[in-house]
Amino acid sequence: MPPITLLALIIGIPSILLLAYVFIRGSTGLRRYILTRIVLTLPMVFILGTLVFFILRVLPGDPVSSALGPKGTPEMIASVRTQLGLNDPLIVQYGRFLWQMVTLKFGNSLVGGHRPIIAEMSERFPATLELIIPASVLALIIGIFGGTLAASKRKKVTDYIFRIYAVVIYSLPIFWLGLILQLFFGVKLGWLPISGRIDPIIGTTLVTHTNIYFIDSLITGNWPAFLSVLQHLVLPTITLGLIQSGLFVRITRANVIETMQMDYIAAARARGIREKVLIYGHALKNAMIPVITLIGLQVAILLAGAVLTESVFSWPGMGSYLVERISARDYNAVQSVITVFAMLVALISLAVDVIYSLVDPRVRY
Amino acid sequence: MKSKSIVVIVTVFVLASMMLSACASATPVATEAPTAAATTAAATVAATAAPTTAASNPDTIIIGTTDKIASLDPADAYAVHDWEVIKNISNGLLAWKPGTTDIEADLATDLGTVSADGLTYTFTLKDGIKFGDGTPLTATIYAAQLNRLLTIGPKCPNDVADSLAVPFVKSITAPDDKTIVFVLTTPIAYFRNLLATAPFVAADPNIFKADACTLFPTAPIYGTGPWFVSQFNADEQMVLEPNPNYTGKYKPQVKQIIIRFYSDANTLALAVQSGEIDIAWRMLSTDQITQLTGVKGVKIGTISGGSIRFLTINRTMKPTDDPNVVKAIASSIDRNEIADTVFGGKVTPLFSMVPPGFLGATDAFDKMYASPDLAAAKKFLEASGYSATKPVKLTIYYPPEHYGATTAAWMQIIKKQLEATGEIQVTLQAQEWSTYIPALTGGKSYNVGVMGWFFDYPDPSNYLDPFIYNGGMGNNITAAVKGSTTGKPINDTAKQLVALLQKADIEQDNTKRVDEYAKAQDLYADLAGNIPLFFEAEHVVYRDNISGSASYATPDTLNIGSNIVFNYSLLSKSK
Repeated sequence: MPPITLLALIIGIPSILLLAYVFIRGSTGLRRYILTRIVLTLPMVFILGTLVFFILRVLPGDPVSSALGPKGTPEMIASVRTQLGLNDPLIVQYGRFLWQMVTLKFGNSLVGGHRPIIAEMSERFPATLELIIPASVLALIIGIFGGTLAASKRKKVTDYIFRIYAVVIYSLPIFWLGLILQLFFGVKLGWLPISGRIDPIIGTTLVTHTNIYFIDSLITGNWPAFLSVLQHLVLPTITLGLIQSGLFVRITRANVIETMQMDYIAAARARGIREKVLIYGHALKNAMIPVITLIGLQVAILLAGAVLTESVFSWPGMGSYLVERISARDYNAVQSVITVFAMLVALISLAVDVIYSLVDPRVRY
Repeated sequence: MKSKSIVVIVTVFVLASMMLSACASATPVATEAPTAAATTAAATVAATAAPTTAASNPDTIIIGTTDKIASLDPADAYAVHDWEVIKNISNGLLAWKPGTTDIEADLATDLGTVSADGLTYTFTLKDGIKFGDGTPLTATIYAAQLNRLLTIGPKCPNDVADSLAVPFVKSITAPDDKTIVFVLTTPIAYFRNLLATAPFVAADPNIFKADACTLFPTAPIYGTGPWFVSQFNADEQMVLEPNPNYTGKYKPQVKQIIIRFYSDANTLALAVQSGEIDIAWRMLSTDQITQLTGVKGVKIGTISGGSIRFLTINRTMKPTDDPNVVKAIASSIDRNEIADTVFGGKVTPLFSMVPPGFLGATDAFDKMYASPDLAAAKKFLEASGYSATKPVKLTIYYPPEHYGATTAAWMQIIKKQLEATGEIQVTLQAQEWSTYIPALTGGKSYNVGVMGWFFDYPDPSNYLDPFIYNGGMGNNITAAVKGSTTGKPINDTAKQLVALLQKADIEQDNTKRVDEYAKAQDLYADLAGNIPLFFEAEHVVYRDNISGSASYATPDTLNIGSNIVFNYSLLSKSK
């Protein structure tokens, strides 16, 4: 089973089970909402795919000339374009693209090794997941607890420290932070690796199933690989996680403060409930709706947008893949990746909406 | 939310994931099963598990690069790094001696014989040659694989065959199991150099089938060379191990070579500095080389490479169809200022399209223009009616990243130098590579553009012919003519130049070739369809426990010489 299929199953089956659970247990309104969203996703992906298809072809530049460079004679360029189907009428190319989308086969890349796009995504997408999940968890831990702490100590030193932290960390250029961490922990102290996903030599012993090395090393019991994967995750995770955490600190703080001023909190306080219980037991939960929205948005952005972190740490993920392929005018790869992203973003948005109803019973569909 | 619901959801997720993971096939998918060498090496590393210990393993050498593999099919591959890997896993009849551009016999018993008319080359294969998978190499198999280059090659996406094989080779036959005969379309003086390139290696018939291009074969990938590819993950790393059936003289000194792919040259520089890798090879900028200079434990080898940068001038578009304008540009350029200001002296000014060190290289542009000579530039311009109040207006196009991040900086210097005449007005226009290169080489859109070139084979013809024949890659010194080798020259000087180059292409006597190329470079400078600017050295940065072979040329650059061939077998590593 190809890693991407396995990965899709690992993510997809539990997601379907979750949706099924919510569908069965939820209200009629929620069921209708889920169904409508799923049905609307299809035309959305179709429209987006079509737009991307035509925009790419309107842009100046050509994948074959770009790949062959100055050594490509007009005859060579024409011959390779024919082989790749780029000289076919646009409508034929569009029909082929639609068929590839429907069958989820995506075709072959137009540059580099001309490999199947599904194989390239099988290698890149798990790498991105492996990076953004721990980074998002780190950002959430710092963001939610930092933001809540700042809100609970409003206008005190702790609050000011977290507010300054949030502004400063979010303003830092990600490549600069990455470079500083590399220089200090990698080059000066020699504690942590500065690039890649696993030690090159240990990597030769890792048998992959999902291409998420963390999972692969665990399920195969390859402990040196597991340790190496963890070591390689530290710096990119901290870089990406810290930058994101600034936003979460600010959002959480603002929402906890707002919730703390509500009547039910005043009533609870009047009943003598302790301040810590008020904040963490009552206010935080109700302040989470905007944070969940932000998590959904951030994950969707990071799926394609961790480009700089990937570049600084030579992390072969989807962000750098998309940038490489856009600049090489690899139509097939770009339109396939964007279609897959569109589906993922639609799925994440749906999941966020469903989670609203689970977190806050007042939310009705 | 009811906490019971959360527990149920989380449990479903965890159980489903665990079941699927457990059901996953134990057969390796993306990477291949580890070999014995890999397991031993990894165990050594694991025993001392620390973040930067990979490079301290004495059995493994890790080479970092920003190059990516585009194709491993000898009938298709046309990139420097692809050729490097192919030449380490396979070899051809002839090869360049390590660190030099001298030809030596490799799979052939000697340098072969050539017929009196220069059209037929005959070679005899050495005895006992086998591919890594045990298949014996006979002349029949070799000839069939070379014919594959001529037949399937032009249908492959990188199409090396149409540049380096089809125009030159008429037929390849094997009259017996030891003899290979090449019949050429025209006698060419540098045919032995062509045979030393990657497209002419012996490709394993079990991997590279006659009817298909196989750009990314599944590992193990065997050839007749000292190494085979045991694992390959296109975006992360390639693992090479010694070929058990290799019988040649370049036996591997270590048990494993790992080529690690980097997306960022800065990270590559840090990786060799921290000891995460043993060698950083190619594409490090001059800033990064400066940063690594003097770092403890790191050595830098500088190879006088063949990578040149030049201006391409469209000689049929106004105003650069005027020879005086072109000569004014050639007279205004101060190459030393570019080299010193932008590159800190780490590139060398170039005064001919043929870089120093190559057969017949001269300083033709310096001799003709002695630039910078602003007075001469003004004289040329004024002869064509230009003045300070009526300046010639030029737009110079360039790709901002493809030739390095410093391109914009040296383009600014060129603008300043041209405008110093007071009679040239320059607009710089950055253009993304995929748009830029077809527009420049098409010869219809840009007046002036920047280009770089790296040789396919180390011969002056490879630095001159492509920039004269059939449109000259955008300078239009000849008009491209379908079916013609050379195209139609635009004027008498171009006609003389084409005739001279054609003569030099077939001349078998090197002394005469030197003389012919000297004259050709003078004519080239006069036409100035291209104005050479500088050539870049290649840098190999390595840890001080890595060494090349003292038995061959240039051990300080790990035996990488002006042929830019990196022979991994000559590398050794001390503890």
